Amino acid sequence: MSALDLALLDSMPMPEGAPGPGGCVRIERPEPGLAVLVIDPPHRKLAVFDRPLMRDLAAAFDELSRDRALKALVLTGKSPTAFVAGADIDVIEAIDDATRASALARFGQQLFQRLADLPLFKVAAVGGPVPGGAFELSLCCNRIVLAEHPSSRIGLPETQLGILPGWGGCQRLPRRVGVPVALETILTGKLYVARQALKLGLVDRLAAPENLVRIACDLALGRTRCPARERGLWSVLVDRNPLARAFITNAARKDVLKKTRGRYPAPLAALELAAAAPSTSLEQGLEREAQALGRLAVSPECKSLISIFRGSEEAKKLGRLPGGAEARAIERAGVVGGGVMGGAIASLLAEKGVDARLCDLARKAVDSALVEHARTIDGALRKRRFEAHEARAALDRLEGATTLEGFARCGLVIEAVAEKLEIKRSVFATLAASLAPDAILATNTSSLSVDAIAAGVAHPERIVGMHFFNPVRLMPLVEIVRGSHTNDETVAATARLALRLGKTPVVVRDVAGFLVNRVLGPYLDEAVRLYESGVAPAQIERAALDFGLPMGPLELLDEVGLDVAAHAAQSLEAAYGERMKSSRLVAKLVACGLKGKKSGAGFFQYEPDPRGGRPRKGEFNPRVTEAARPHAASTLRSEDVRERLALALVNEAALCLEERVVESERELDLATVFGMGFPPFYGGALRYVRSRGARNVVDALERCSAAADVTARDGARERFKPCALLVERAR
Amino acid sequence: MPRALAKEIVIAAGLRTAQTKAGGQFRREDAGRLGAAVTRELLARTGVDAAQLDEMIFGCVGQPQNQVNVARVIAIRAGVPQRVPAHTVGRNCASGMQALTSAVVQIEAGRGELFLCGGVEVMSAYPLTYGPEMTALFEQLSRARTLPARLAALASFRPWHLKPRVALLEGLTDPTCGLIMGRTAELLARDWSITREQGDALALESHSRAERARANGRFAREIAPVMPLGARDGAQSVLADDGIREGQSLEALAKLKPYFEKPDGVVTVGNSSQLTDGACALLVTTAERARALGLAPLARVRSFAWAGCEPARMGLGPVYASAAALDDAGCELEDLGAIELNEAFAHQVLACARAFDSAQFAARELGRGRALGALDLARTNINGGAIALGHPVGCTGARLVLTLAHQLRESNAELGLATLCIGGGQGGAVVLERCGA
Repeated sequence: MSALDLALLDSMPMPEGAPGPGGCVRIERPEPGLAVLVIDPPHRKLAVFDRPLMRDLAAAFDELSRDRALKALVLTGKSPTAFVAGADIDVIEAIDDATRASALARFGQQLFQRLADLPLFKVAAVGGPVPGGAFELSLCCNRIVLAEHPSSRIGLPETQLGILPGWGGCQRLPRRVGVPVALETILTGKLYVARQALKLGLVDRLAAPENLVRIACDLALGRTRCPARERGLWSVLVDRNPLARAFITNAARKDVLKKTRGRYPAPLAALELAAAAPSTSLEQGLEREAQALGRLAVSPECKSLISIFRGSEEAKKLGRLPGGAEARAIERAGVVGGGVMGGAIASLLAEKGVDARLCDLARKAVDSALVEHARTIDGALRKRRFEAHEARAALDRLEGATTLEGFARCGLVIEAVAEKLEIKRSVFATLAASLAPDAILATNTSSLSVDAIAAGVAHPERIVGMHFFNPVRLMPLVEIVRGSHTNDETVAATARLALRLGKTPVVVRDVAGFLVNRVLGPYLDEAVRLYESGVAPAQIERAALDFGLPMGPLELLDEVGLDVAAHAAQSLEAAYGERMKSSRLVAKLVACGLKGKKSGAGFFQYEPDPRGGRPRKGEFNPRVTEAARPHAASTLRSEDVRERLALALVNEAALCLEERVVESERELDLATVFGMGFPPFYGGALRYVRSRGARNVVDALERCSAAADVTARDGARERFKPCALLVERAR
Repeated sequence: MPRALAKEIVIAAGLRTAQTKAGGQFRREDAGRLGAAVTRELLARTGVDAAQLDEMIFGCVGQPQNQVNVARVIAIRAGVPQRVPAHTVGRNCASGMQALTSAVVQIEAGRGELFLCGGVEVMSAYPLTYGPEMTALFEQLSRARTLPARLAALASFRPWHLKPRVALLEGLTDPTCGLIMGRTAELLARDWSITREQGDALALESHSRAERARANGRFAREIAPVMPLGARDGAQSVLADDGIREGQSLEALAKLKPYFEKPDGVVTVGNSSQLTDGACALLVTTAERARALGLAPLARVRSFAWAGCEPARMGLGPVYASAAALDDAGCELEDLGAIELNEAFAHQVLACARAFDSAQFAARELGRGRALGALDLARTNINGGAIALGHPVGCTGARLVLTLAHQLRESNAELGLATLCIGGGQGGAVVLERCGA
């Protein structure tokens, strides 16, 4: 047994309030021959593998190894639903030396190996969140018992943060459950609920939380039995069979590449390690893991993903009032306007347990929303996301109406009616008359000012913007727009509701375009201008995809709807002037009847999917060429096209931070990633600037500004003029 | 002797679903869901905080076997807090009215002030069950542990064991006198010499009145739209009663063969009530509480009565019950401005009309000196009755009260009566008084 590099441990930071040696764990001896190792650090709500815990675990394993009278060990957390939350992300975020990162991986591996080497029958009794390192530690035991509780979630999510399970997970999991299941677990990073974890073989047994430790003790002492998971024949046929392995690995690699477009190294590295694990020795495999982890932990992708993770965690705090107390929960909500968005918002509310009432003047719109809701719930039931009685309850919760009667008890109402100020004002006035004075009136407007809609409505402090993105179910971001009267309670309660719906909220100021649409404005217009100046549409789309965006700008315009886009461009131009001056092409296309995906054709042609899915993209629409008469083929290279698009976006994003549209850079980055799909491996628009170097970005902007086709255009030089924030950072 | 209720009790608000032909638009519904849908809508529109309810009482004849005490299921699915108790009542066709009178009695006794009651029936969902032989076979099989034992159990199987018991038929047949409901109407038709043509004429009148009422939007304020379960793309919420036959004619009715007694019977499917799905919810409370809740009540409950009679002639139940209810209310039949007399069968309604007006009947059956009075058919079932609108058995009792309450306003009438005949030989009656101006 190699000596643990305790000097390495000492070089790790000591968290605040950490206890002295032995304070993070305790060993209980409830009966002869049995020890129960309880992980219960006082300085954290949920334990993390930080320096004090690792130190105390090393000491505990040492003590246990010297006790000759022991036969059995149970490893558990401070409660049946609290074990360890995984590795210390602060450490991973801070680390900048690959060798040191590898050394830390090795340290953890050796520490866990100490547990695996103990000549005792070891049972891990875990519950609540059991991610990453926590699961890896459990894998060093003979048996794993998981608490059957809704909060139990077990898995290896490291690849989601740009690293991989580096403490033996890539080695031990495939040996335990076989390569195919291990690959799925590691590559998706999914955290499984109790039933699923048992079914997949990640754990050996489930137990009610009240019985968890007792049953683990019985198992450890042999009073009850639980057969070991044996791969048996499958190990020979699949895991160690070179042909099967090649087949599985290729399929998995193709899948990963399709999803990541080759921009994320972590899943590919994890794939190689896990697939090879059963055919290599544990020692060799662990060393490879440590090497890979070292490389990945210092990669920019990892840092970006951790930054986004941090941002999401912080966004969760938006549901709290400034003092720290939780904002009020909304139990009954209304939605006015049963269009595509309104209907989907109401459906999502009902699905997530909020009584929802949807109103639209047209019974037909209400009916289609109700039918769509039934279809969604039915789909979820078939995929086993719901049990039958939960599905029924989700269906019951959505009410439909054609008048504003019946909204009196709503704690929050979202209006999603037509983008016309008078109509929105009238809806709010009617609602204000029958709702409680502190009931929140939220608007889903994307182009009007929250203050303008709020004008004249009683108790304006409860009026807020709650801006969802289309399609509501898929898009994770919700912009919470603060009007000049909106109070903290309203913002917090609205954010809390957004979190309940599974969305990530970001608080923005009431400016035209708010944040996401404002940043998209110049980017989308730039795409149209490039097309008009002779760049091939395919090249434009590819430039965006190569940059890392999920969809090309011309297709995105079609997705949003050319009419909506034209209208939005108009408001942005009216509000911001020169730099938002947009091409008249889109409006022209709308006048020709081309509205994008919803009308079957926009920049591209679309065919309806025979299986009822999203419309499929076809060829570039020749009618657009007719209408636009673009210049002869442009001489811009792919990199230039990419630069134009990215810089237009980034410059506006920086300006938004400069103008305090959002409070912090981290929120801005998060909003760009979740709101418009800014590549997560860059971590967000401003993080991209940091990693590229502000000087570099400013120079590039100035080059764009000076380009011939840019100077020839009205307002284009303004668009590419580096904003003050960037100039300041470039110094 | 007039007998006022111990408290001033009102129907503060009410709603119903449309009534649809069994096997039709609501065929995939279940009683819990349909009841919950109308209850939710009633709570939303009145703005009442469901936590304030003292109890929920629903009537239902054919409770689904997986929703025992369907009132409780309705309560929870309607979002009523778990602390509010709920129970289900049964009095055959008048279960919906029983829910109302149970609430009235509790309010009178001071056991609660705010009740949500109603009735629900999804006749489309009435099951077929295995008979006793088949059930015994299954039982034997489940207890058999060895192959010989299992084979022995199977050996007792005969194909006819598969013949199902039809809950619908059994439910509509009186077990004490052995008559299916339609035959009790045939008996009355013979007792009172009511012809086939007379029955058909009343049926036609029911359809035309209902058609007119629907076209005039008369039911719009009663009906809460419901999107039926199992709806596919393009489905629409159910907004209107669909049993009403537009352009019904005497010729069409005359073509039908007698259903219950062939070949000489006079009761056909055309002049009988229809098998229907529907639900109705009423908010019942004291006048004072209604005021405090900011609700303008639909009507006051003046009196009610239940009476027993001969099971074979259950169709006359309304006469017995109305006599008692009118006595308590201190008024006469002719004082009533609107009457809802359930059209279980056209001949049954006509028999009631004759009985109301018969001094002999009054003397023999009710122990009275004179007849109760002439039943003015022009004021009875003004908007059509169960022949056109359907008879979702557990719901009808409440539905009649709701329609009557609205009708008092429409007709500018002071007093009204809702009454039904009840399988098993009973009658139920409620006298309503219009509230305020």
